[in-house]
Amino acid sequence: MSNKYLEVTNLKKSFGGLKAVDVQSLNLNRNELTSIIGPNGAGKTTFFDLISGFQDSDEGKVFLNKKNITKSQPYSIARLGMIRTFQLTKVFDRMTVLENMMFSASSVNNDSFMKSLIRLPSQKTTEKNIKEKSFEIMKDLNIDHMANSYARELSGGQKKLLELGRSIVNDPSILLLDEPLAGVNPKLAEEILQIILNLSEKGISILMVEHNIEAVMKISQRVVVLAEGMVIADDIPENVRTDEKVIEAYLGSENE
Amino acid sequence: MIEQLGNGLLLGIIIAVASVALSLLYGVTRIVNFAHGEIIALGAIATLFLSSPVDSRVIFLDRFSPLGNNFYISVVISVILCGLLGGILEFFLFRPLRKAEVGNIAVLVVTIGLSLFLRHIYLLFNAKPQNFPLELQRRETYLFFDMTPRNFRVLILGIFVMVLIGLFLNYTRIGKAMRAVRDSNDLASVSGINSDNIILFTWISSSMLAGLAGVFQATINDVRYNMGFLILLLIFAGTVLGGIGTSFGAMVGGFIIGIVVNVSVGLPFMEGHTEAKNAVALAIMILILLFRPQGIFGEKERVS
Amino acid sequence: MKFTFKSSFTILLTISSIFLVFLLNEEGEIPILFNLLTFAGIYGLAAIGLNVHFGLTGLLNFGHAAFMGLGAYVTVLLIPHAAGREGVVVTTGLPFFLALLIGIISAALFGLLLGLPAIRLRGDYLAIVTIAAAEIFRLLVRDLESVTGGVYGIINFSNSLQQYRSGFIDNFASSNELNPSQIWIAFLSWTSIILVLLLLRRLTNSPWGRALRAVREDEDAVRALGKNAVWLKLQSFMLGAGIAGLSGVLLAFNYGTIQVSTFVPILTFYVWAIMILGGVGSLTGPIFGSIIFWVIISETTGIAQLIFENANGQQIAGVRFVLVGLLIMLLMIFRPSGLMGKKEELLLDVK
Repeated sequence: MSNKYLEVTNLKKSFGGLKAVDVQSLNLNRNELTSIIGPNGAGKTTFFDLISGFQDSDEGKVFLNKKNITKSQPYSIARLGMIRTFQLTKVFDRMTVLENMMFSASSVNNDSFMKSLIRLPSQKTTEKNIKEKSFEIMKDLNIDHMANSYARELSGGQKKLLELGRSIVNDPSILLLDEPLAGVNPKLAEEILQIILNLSEKGISILMVEHNIEAVMKISQRVVVLAEGMVIADDIPENVRTDEKVIEAYLGSENE
Repeated sequence: MIEQLGNGLLLGIIIAVASVALSLLYGVTRIVNFAHGEIIALGAIATLFLSSPVDSRVIFLDRFSPLGNNFYISVVISVILCGLLGGILEFFLFRPLRKAEVGNIAVLVVTIGLSLFLRHIYLLFNAKPQNFPLELQRRETYLFFDMTPRNFRVLILGIFVMVLIGLFLNYTRIGKAMRAVRDSNDLASVSGINSDNIILFTWISSSMLAGLAGVFQATINDVRYNMGFLILLLIFAGTVLGGIGTSFGAMVGGFIIGIVVNVSVGLPFMEGHTEAKNAVALAIMILILLFRPQGIFGEKERVS
Repeated sequence: MKFTFKSSFTILLTISSIFLVFLLNEEGEIPILFNLLTFAGIYGLAAIGLNVHFGLTGLLNFGHAAFMGLGAYVTVLLIPHAAGREGVVVTTGLPFFLALLIGIISAALFGLLLGLPAIRLRGDYLAIVTIAAAEIFRLLVRDLESVTGGVYGIINFSNSLQQYRSGFIDNFASSNELNPSQIWIAFLSWTSIILVLLLLRRLTNSPWGRALRAVREDEDAVRALGKNAVWLKLQSFMLGAGIAGLSGVLLAFNYGTIQVSTFVPILTFYVWAIMILGGVGSLTGPIFGSIIFWVIISETTGIAQLIFENANGQQIAGVRFVLVGLLIMLLMIFRPSGLMGKKEELLLDVK
């Protein structure tokens, strides 16, 4: 049995004639921690948008665990276990931290109008379990003392943690992290990296876009380099570090 | 049908001028101005007050007609008054709101309150629908459209104003700056010109255009306090049809809506339902928003 | 509702505004009071429905009058009534409560239909779509005279509901020289408010309510976490529209007739003013907002008399709408959370 969990073939997207993404083939193995790097405008976030259903691709196919998810709705992709975060942190500002977590932990079934109207005892039990689970994760992330604060009151770093926690509580099988370290102080960055490693050890596949090359090289098992929408390298960190094309792409973009 | 086409062109030019004004304001400030109709109405009402003895319930204005017989000077002064109102609104209402970083939705609700407020101030001044003090004219044939000489002049003047706006936006410094602000969605990115001044200028010019559209409208209908509100939704339809935030789109959209409203009277299923003619234009607008929310000329990125 | 400073202040303000009615009127205070309380109940109910849309879900609905109107027209046309120029009498019909149920469901389905554009559109576009749809509704009602009675309206339908009027309403009305039909409607309106609020309290404190608030905050994040934001928005649209439908029925029965001038944009703006005054997002806020609003409305005659000698109906209406417009503007600028809204949950920065 092949170990491929996420398969991307011939995925293309252009904006007004400008190619944003043109990925011939990219496969992600189960339980692997893979990072995508590349110069600004390399199409990393667009690539995330395409595989998570937030944008429609022009052509190409995406499979998650053998299931075709090309052009599926974001929510149905998420229900298959692929949860993403956003480059600009999206927390529910005017809800409490705990509500943020519980919303994510709650199943669609638990959220339903009829169930909420009738208030079945089963819903109460589920809510209790969700609450406990949310608190456990908030404790791990050290934001449990903020549980009853509105999310808008959190610091930038705490919001990153909340977004991460909200993704974890959803029980993902694969996490797409869009710049989890952006705008975070070095100490917190260290903590977040450790959290990501722990998640990986628990068996969650991780695909991460990140600008902090040092951090990427330190924790990734595999590094994919995108430039002008195309994969120019896909290897273990040591090899990518010395890859000529990669160096050229980075230098080239710096010269511009 | 041909006769309806003439009426359609006339309504079209009125809606087009008003739509361009609305679209310009939206493009630069991101404000959906529900009080646009009241500025339109002011153009007509001020012209009426200045040019003819009005049967007003407000005592000190009764039989007040400073410019008596000079209709055209009245129009010019009214259009300037509309610009003044726009400038005052920006300076005393919308600029402070912007500085306080009040969200777009809250500002939209403010414009709705403003619309109710202004409209009924007009009602207090004069509730009775009245006509401009202009003599009746016989319809004549221009090309193959039947209309009165006055209507024909309105049409030509409207087209002239459109061309002028196009030239202004493309060839003057401030016009280019307005377009830059609109296209970049970012006030800070335009260097050299104070963004507050651009917005103030936009308010003034948008309001003057609206006032002119009001004068136009009053040459085919009567002047009444809610005349702007009655036409506002058609203006929205025109703006949305062409693509909100694009001046050319708003112009074409406005024309199409004007023609649709008048020509739809001739449709088979509309027989005996002329009262509902506006419904057709509004339905088209909703369908456009459902299936092509960026309008005919708008770019996709602008919408979502 | 917890008795915080805010709610105590609001209650105090509401009570003093009622005292104002006694202060400003030398005679007939009781009928004036009950008249305004009836309208306050009906409009308050409508504002509660609107708050489901805007306060809870962030949907900009400016077509509320159409939801109210659809509920009213469907219900009234299904029971015995007389309509149109000729006053065509329809003597057969469904029992009132069945007709009411169908009316409410129709309003909710209309909400579903109007919610469809909301799937793809940003807030301000939705405002335009809803106000345009309400205008189409108004034009069609006016035009389809054979069904809706057109400009001649619908009359003689009140009995279907008034026949259920209980004896204590009659006793209360006659001992206070009030119109029993109106007191019955007032009673039903306030009962509806209590029931709807109990329902909404249950729903907003539930996982479903939590999901709606999440949609209001950030749709993309909701999708990314596996929830169908569109369906949640449509559910909210239906619920709020259904409540509006119920209030529209009550409004029609309060007037005893339906005219084309009943369900017009100005009605929507009234409801908006009440919602903002009471507090966007607050469950009980619209009740107090509605009472205070109607005290102001019912005293505009006096204000109009100050400005004009022998003010006529049109001038009184003009003064009234000027005040409503001013109220909306001032509240939005200086106190957007209204009387009872939570400052922390203010919708100011919604884009």
